Parts: sequence; structure tokens; C-alpha cells
Amino acid sequence: MSDEMQEILNDFLTESNEMLEVLDQRFVTLESDPNNTDLLNEIFRAMHSMKGSAGFLGFNHLVDVAHRGENILNKLRQGEMAVNPAIISIILETIDVIKAIMADIRGTGTDSHVPTVMIAAKLDDILNGTTAPEAPVATLAEAAAPAKAEAVSPTPTVGAPIASPPTLGEILVNDGLASKEQVLDALTAQQHQPEPKTPLGEILLQAKAITERALDQALHKQEKQPKPAEEDATIRVETKRLDSVMNLVGELVLGRNRLIKIGTQLEQQHESDPQVRVLSETLAQLNLVTTDLQLAVMKTRMLPIKKVFAKLPRMVRDLSQKLNKQVHLEMRGEETELDKSVADEIGDPLVHLVRNAIDHGIETPAERQAKGKAGEGQLTIAASQEGNSIVIRINDDGRGIQVEKIKEKALAKGLISEAEIATMEHREILNLIFLPGFSTAEKVTDVSGRGVGMDVVRTNIRKINGSVDLESEPGKGSQIIIKLPLTIAIIQALMVEVERSIFAIPLSTVIEAVRISRSEIKTINGREVLHLRDRVLPLIRLAQEFDIPTDANRERFYVVVAALGDRRVGVVVDELRSQEEVVIKSIWDYLETVKGVSGATITGEGKVVLILDTSELVQNAQAWHNPGIAA
Amino acid sequence: MSATEQQVQSHIQTPAEHAAERLVDKSADDLLQFVICLIGSEEFAVDVLSVQEINRIVEVTRVPKTPPYVEGVINLRGRIIPVLDLRKLFGLTGAAQTTQTRIVVVSVQARLVGLIVDSVEEVLRVPKSAIEPPPSVGTMAGAEFTQGVGRIDDRLLILVDLSRLLLAREAA
Repeated sequence: MSDEMQEILNDFLTESNEMLEVLDQRFVTLESDPNNTDLLNEIFRAMHSMKGSAGFLGFNHLVDVAHRGENILNKLRQGEMAVNPAIISIILETIDVIKAIMADIRGTGTDSHVPTVMIAAKLDDILNGTTAPEAPVATLAEAAAPAKAEAVSPTPTVGAPIASPPTLGEILVNDGLASKEQVLDALTAQQHQPEPKTPLGEILLQAKAITERALDQALHKQEKQPKPAEEDATIRVETKRLDSVMNLVGELVLGRNRLIKIGTQLEQQHESDPQVRVLSETLAQLNLVTTDLQLAVMKTRMLPIKKVFAKLPRMVRDLSQKLNKQVHLEMRGEETELDKSVADEIGDPLVHLVRNAIDHGIETPAERQAKGKAGEGQLTIAASQEGNSIVIRINDDGRGIQVEKIKEKALAKGLISEAEIATMEHREILNLIFLPGFSTAEKVTDVSGRGVGMDVVRTNIRKINGSVDLESEPGKGSQIIIKLPLTIAIIQALMVEVERSIFAIPLSTVIEAVRISRSEIKTINGREVLHLRDRVLPLIRLAQEFDIPTDANRERFYVVVAALGDRRVGVVVDELRSQEEVVIKSIWDYLETVKGVSGATITGEGKVVLILDTSELVQNAQAWHNPGIAA
Repeated sequence: MSATEQQVQSHIQTPAEHAAERLVDKSADDLLQFVICLIGSEEFAVDVLSVQEINRIVEVTRVPKTPPYVEGVINLRGRIIPVLDLRKLFGLTGAAQTTQTRIVVVSVQARLVGLIVDSVEEVLRVPKSAIEPPPSVGTMAGAEFTQGVGRIDDRLLILVDLSRLLLAREAA
């Protein structure tokens, strides 16, 4: 295959996949809002354009399936069939088949491996009325002149696919402003006219088929139809390219900072020199532009969380049907933007949490009614921006989580000791479910409950410097709160110093910093600890951890209290430097395996500073404080 | 910048010119070009095509828990790249950094690595025939990083095997 062809094919696959994702969501919406013609039209157009591209590329199997699906969609939007769950289910199935074909094309370059006979037959059944079409529009008129309707059936309004945007006639019929017969009559009349022909709307007006207001309404709607040209307003760019632009902008910022420093010095020395004044003006301008540029580049990497949410409605629908539960999904804040790299990472954990909420949280309708709740469970997913973080809240009004059960389980599995549980707060106990090997499901289902889930969820969220927290009230429901950084690339960090080496600690994991003297450090079982407000805090000496030679006689230290969930550790350093916004850069994989270092950043002066991997430090500390947990 | 260094830089920065030169020079096929670096009194040769740039020494950030020859990481115009000390890699005894100390940035399998050397001397054309395999007895420190030995007049060049540098981690 030529490169050019491969490129066209890749574009087709990417576009189609995006379209399919949107379609899933649209169908679920359609099910609850079957009379939404706009939605139907949108779905139809998507299917139609995919069919077109597939035809161009010679994927005949795909075209075949898409064509049949499109026929049904056309009938639906023409009002010749009514939307019902059976039809939606089969169309969703069609989408799945199309997805499978897409995967086939991606893998093998052809579309012939996925069997399509079954789905084609099902679609034909619907189309031929084996599943009877219900309530066509303009029933009266059609009943009055059935023969006529059949005679003109090869017109664009019936059966055959039509290219978007819809014609005036279609809009009039779809909106019930004129009957199909009236429009067809008018079209026929128009055809018999000599040039110049009277516009369709006027013929209809003259025939008193429609009112002037109806015509205006329809014309207005036709104008509003999205033009295909709008799609050209965006282009696809490889993330790698954006990353390199980001890198360069970072360098530009450094350069600007140095220039400003020099400028300020010059200003102080040669206050009266007009040239210097011009220089500082230019610098001020450069400063502004650079800041704007940095922001603009960051924004190019942002996408609405809608992209991540898109797959949820379909999943909730399928899952609740499978489990015989009724779930109403509400999504809020879909327009909230986050960095692409964050968006890529959060999808799987989100899916898992939603699955859990439906499987373990929401009860069956009977159970719910017995408790005096509505039969339909509420599941709300809300995203919002709070300062420098994105917060996603997943709420269900299900059975909630019983703390006692968690205690029992954690003890039984040896994840924690009685003594430890005694000192833990309610919320801390709830969050034990995120420990590896913990699962409260009474029976393992294929939906959730393999005991790896919550652990993996937390690990994945932490990987992108986020946090996850659980709150629950038995009988009333649970809330899971996920906090994510706006972007993975930029974090707030606390700069600390050990023997003139500087390290950055992600601020999101820092609880507090305290100043101590050497005598305050105690040892338990040979390990250094600090008593901090009735809590025993395990200590890690950064100098020891990283084999930095230190002055043994140092009297004063700072302890940075870092936390990961409920685990805390004190990191002993010499000095606190400052709080800075740092850009995380990966260090080459040659060095990636260094324990306790997650990356590096470049400071304003152009120096490289290592970023500590707090989670690893905490885990290491916990490992020797609580051997049971590490096991 | 010294005269030789300018010569080195100009050689590196104009690969197109190189290509042209090679076409004219009939014997070019049999010639390899190396950047010659000095460590102590020994001459090390790095394939000129792998060298991206030669920089003055900058502040190197040490990375804990790495082998001794990993000097640390540096900021190369926004990219963070590791820097290896060729001296330690080849088991030579230490010398302090001077104004002549350079970081030779080489690209190995699409990754950038900096090599610290005492100084950079010149770009040298070496006939293929002058290159011999490394001495078979592994008595020489850093033998595993030696691709071969070049003999020109009475000079002895140690050809650095860059691809081996990547494997060094596994050995460590």
C-alpha cells in the first residue's frame, strides 16, 4: 500500500472511531428522547458519511452493514418507524459489528474477517417490518392515497440515502409542517414548470399547504444545519509535535527570565540612557507575549472531559440491563477541559469505578423499593475545575458501604492489624478498599470483584499525580472523589535542599513541613521516627536514601510530611527553599529506574532538579513499618 | 573557542558540505571521520556522524543510585539528557575540570547522551585500513566500550563503541 493510501486509511480509521464513540452516546440519548429529529439526523449523517468513506476505500462489507443501518435510520427520521428499545439494541449491535470491522481493517487492512450475515438479517427484518414499524407521520394522508405514495416512492424522501444537509421538503415533512403528499405534489408541479422554476416554498404557499410562518421556520432551520465545511476548522497534530513546541516555549521562558534580569541590572546602572529605556520597554513586551504563548501552547493540549465521558452512557446502559438494574446516568461538567495526557490516563479508572457503582452500589429495583427508594438508581458523574485541579465526583444512591464489613475483611485478609484499626478514623477505614488484594464483593462476577480493581484504580490515578477518596453512608449511597492535576506536565512543587543538592517534592503530596532539632528524632526497632501531635511518623532521610554525604553534626532539620492516602511519612531535609511551579520532564530511560525519582525539571536558572517520587518513598517507609501491608 | 574547535564545529554543523566533499574525494569511501577527544594523554575517537554538538561543561545534576560513570543530567535547551564520564567509563584516573573540558553530545539510537572529555582536538579522517579490532585480551579497562583501534602514524586512537554505552546500564 502506498504511503498516501495508508495515510488516507489512517485518517478514515481515526475519524470513524471518533464518530462511533459519539454514536454510542447519541443512541442512548435517543432511547430516552425518541422524537428528537435533530439527533436522528445527526446520527444519520454520521453513518452516511462513514459509509461514503468506506465505499471510497473499497470496504464493501462495511458499506453493506452501514447501508442497512442507514436505511433503518432513514425510516426513523422520516417517521416511518418509531424508535423503540428493540430497534436501538439492534442498531447498537450494528455499531459493535462496525467497530469489529474497524479493528479488522486496522489489523489486517481488509474488512472480510468479521461475519456480517447475522446482523444484516436482523437489520433486514426490521426494515421489512417483521418488527412492525409503528405510527408513521401523516397517517391520514397516506391512508387516503396509498397508491400514490407507492408510485412516487423512489423520490429522495423514501428509502434511498440522501446526502446532508436535508432539503426544505424534508424539514417540512419531518417537522410535521406539511404532509409528504403535499410536498411531493409541489415537487412534481415544480418539475413540470419551465425555467426559471418557482421555489418549493412558494408553490406550497400558493397551494395553501403551509403557512408563511411554517415556511420561515423551516427555512431558518435549514440555514442552521451544520455545514460540512466546519469540520475543516480543526486539524490533527501529533502530540509529540506539541510536546516539542512546549519544550521550546519552556526554553523561551528561561531565556526571557535571564534577559529580564540583565535588563533590570542595566536599568539600575544606566538609568538615564534612553537606549536602556527602549530595551526595558521591549523586554516588557516580550514578557507579555511569551506568557501568552506559553498559555496558548498549553491550551492546545487541552480537551473537554466529554471525550472521556463519551463511552460511559453505553456502558451504563448495557451493564444495568445485564444486571437487571435500572440506572439513570447524569453527567455534568462535560465541557471541563483537561490535558490530553491526563485524559488518556483517567478513562480506565473511571470505567472501573462506574462499573463498581452499578455492580456493588446500586441495588435491584425490588430491593430499592423495599427500602423506600425509587426503583431507578441515580448515578451522577460531575467534573469541575477547582483551582489547579480537576475534580470528578461519582455519586450513587445505592446501598453504600458498611464500615464493619470493611474492617472484618481487612482483618481477615491480614491487610491490617486490630491495633491499627483501633486508631483509624471512619474515613480512613473506608479507604482501605484501595489496598491491594481487597474486594468486598460477596461473589465474584464478570463485571467487577476480582479484588484488583480498586487498587489498580488508585495506582493509575496516583501515577498522574491525582488522588482518589471515598465517602459513603450505609443505605444512602457512596461518593468517590477523584482529584486530578490540570495537566501532568506542570505541578506545584516544594523545593528542598540536602547538602546543596536541590530536590522537588510534588506539593500535592505535602501536608506540612515542620522544623525539628536532632534530639527530636527517636528510633523504634532501629528505624527513625518523629512524634508529631500524637502520631508516630516514620522518617526517611533523603541524604541516606540517596547516598549524599552529610554533616553528621547538623542540629536543625526540616521534616516534610508527605501523605499518600492515609499513609504518611516524614522526609528529612536540611532546608526548605521555595514553592515553585515546575514543568515535569522525563529523564531518559537510562536513568528511569532510579528508585524514589519520578522525573526532573528545569528551574528558572536553567538548572536540572530531580523530582521525588513521593509514593515510592512512602511505600518504602511503610514496607518496613508494616511488613503485613507490603506482603 | 579555539581554532581547532571552530574547525570541529564547522565540520559538524555542515553535513551537506561533507557529502559534497566526499563526492569529490574519490577515496572518501575508504575514509571514516572521527571527532578526536583527549582524556589524559589518550585519544578517543567518536564517529562524527553521531556527534550532534560539542558544548562547554555546564553544571551537572547528580542522580542518586546510578553507576559512578554516570555524571548526572544536564539541561540541553529544554531537554534533559544524561551525561557520562568517559574517563570513569574507561577506568582512567581523575583530573579536574578545566576550561578545555567539553561535553560531546552524541545521538545513540535516537537518544542523546553527553560524554565528558578533557578536550576536543580535531576532526580526523581515518582510512578504514588503519582500523584494527580491539585487543582481544580484556586487560584494558573499558574494553567493552571499544569498537576498535585506529593507528595513524604513531598515534593510537581508541574508537568508542557508542551503542555499547546504552548497554552499560545492564552490565552495572
